[in-house]
Amino acid sequence: MRIILIGFGNLGKGLARIFVDKADFLRKTYGLVPHVVAVADERGAAMDENGLNLSKLLKVAEKKSVAAYEGGKRGKMALEVIEDMEADVVYELTPTNIKNGEPGFTHIKRAMLTGKHVITSNKGPLVVAFGELDSLARKCGVEFRYSASVGGAIPVINLARRLLAGNEIREVCGVLNGTTNYILTRMSTEGVPFEIVLREAQELGIAEKDPTLDIRGIDTACKITILANSILGIDAKLEHVKVTGIDRISSEAIRLAREAGQTIKLVGVARRGSLEVGPRLVPFGHPLAVGGTLNAVKFELDLAREITITGFGAGPQETSSSLLGDLIDIHRTLGG
Amino acid sequence: MLVKIVMELEDVPGQLLKALEPISRFGGNIQSIMHQRERKTPLGRVPVMLVFEISDKARMNKILNELRTMGVRITQLGEREGAVRSTVLLVGHIVHTDIMGTIDRLNGIRGVMVSDLSLAMGAPNKESAARMTITAGDEKRLRLAISTLRRAAGRKKLLMITSLEETE
Ligand SMILES: NC(=O)c1ccc[n+]([C@@H]2O[C@H](COP(=O)([O-])OP(=O)(O)OC[C@H]3O[C@@H](n4cnc5c(N)ncnc54)[C@H](OP(=O)(O)O)[C@@H]3O)[C@@H](O)[C@H]2O)c1
Repeated sequence: MRIILIGFGNLGKGLARIFVDKADFLRKTYGLVPHVVAVADERGAAMDENGLNLSKLLKVAEKKSVAAYEGGKRGKMALEVIEDMEADVVYELTPTNIKNGEPGFTHIKRAMLTGKHVITSNKGPLVVAFGELDSLARKCGVEFRYSASVGGAIPVINLARRLLAGNEIREVCGVLNGTTNYILTRMSTEGVPFEIVLREAQELGIAEKDPTLDIRGIDTACKITILANSILGIDAKLEHVKVTGIDRISSEAIRLAREAGQTIKLVGVARRGSLEVGPRLVPFGHPLAVGGTLNAVKFELDLAREITITGFGAGPQETSSSLLGDLIDIHRTLGG
Repeated sequence: MLVKIVMELEDVPGQLLKALEPISRFGGNIQSIMHQRERKTPLGRVPVMLVFEISDKARMNKILNELRTMGVRITQLGEREGAVRSTVLLVGHIVHTDIMGTIDRLNGIRGVMVSDLSLAMGAPNKESAARMTITAGDEKRLRLAISTLRRAAGRKKLLMITSLEETE
């Protein structure tokens, strides 16, 4: 399969590493040989019709843009790469922009219009224009996969859409943001104030320098929007989600909760007629009372009643599980 | 809420223990157990009357379902009125915004009572927190109390944190 990677940050690099490490496994198990023919970052692109040497590229990209790869082009735009190169699949792995979905939105549309399947982890285009992209993919006859956009490594969307396909999904709710869950867990187990745990999380690289989107619940709201669209079939936008963050949660509040056998979690809930994100009291021992950076998602179903899955919601290696899964799935669907 | 059930168990050791497991697993608090050996069924099963306290109906149903799945026959089921409750946290300038007034208003709703209140004062100029347990005669009244409290919290700019089981 011929592959283009747009964005070569944590996830792009992580995925490239997995392609190298799992080359034998993929070929032997699925007959799948991923040829990465182009990689673009914000500064330029590396291209090779015969497939890039990913180990070399990873080495180059440790310090520089991928454009520094042999024959690479500084200033070559991702959009041109998508148009110029022949490929089966485009991975869109650029930063999330919730205002207008760019640059991912344009990248994805162009990839579809030029007949390429799209796999993305980028929430921006999905919260801004889920419906538009979904129907464009259909019109262009290409596959559109976004497993990694919600729950990182946890197969939330595929579990719901495939294995639970015989159920009516009444509600999906979950702990969908590792950063805030880490903060709340530390506050609860150590009794440390919010500001101190936040700083600690930033030092550990768990929280971003600007953690606003996580803390204010916006990241969770993005994921709720994507789940509402993709598994509940609701034509929802980010602004339809009622959001409360965790910035007002004090150690005192957490202590009072604990004394009543409860913990505070940032929970997103999607159900027909109500999309909301906010701190909630969750009893210790409840399936959503997961600790650290873990995520957990619970489905309420007419047949199966309740199913909860737990796992890592972020990290390059963990998220590769979903990104690679989407590729193998497309490979199989197309009978490759 | 308080739940009273009568279930029929096989008269072999270990049956009762097995039947109690789902109750504690879903957070039920067992109050009393009474074997009714004198009422042994023709098939040799012993009716056992059990009273337990549980936070809400959803959990009660989970327990009952679990028992039925285990093959336990439940012959009687009664919920005692006057004992649905919900725990709520409030964060903000609670004392300055007249928490007692809010409690009076909730207590003024028929069949509703604020049965527990814990306050944790924040550092000077910081927000404080309160935990409140609302007990009501039935689910409908509890809902009404919670939406009343939600409106009051909104007016007073308090953050209100409800239990996961509570929906808006
Ligand atoms: N990290 C995770 O665990 C995780 C998990 C799930 C989903 N996600 C989502 O996945 C996406 C990628 O995450 P990440 O952690 O890999 O981000 P990242 O480390 O910030 O990498 C972003 C990459 O996109 C490139 N880029 C930015 N603008 C571009 C443009 N206009 N054209 C081409 N490339 C451009 C950047 O180029 P430069 O190198 O030149 O700056 C960089 O290589 C984000 O949307 C994120 O929200 C991440």
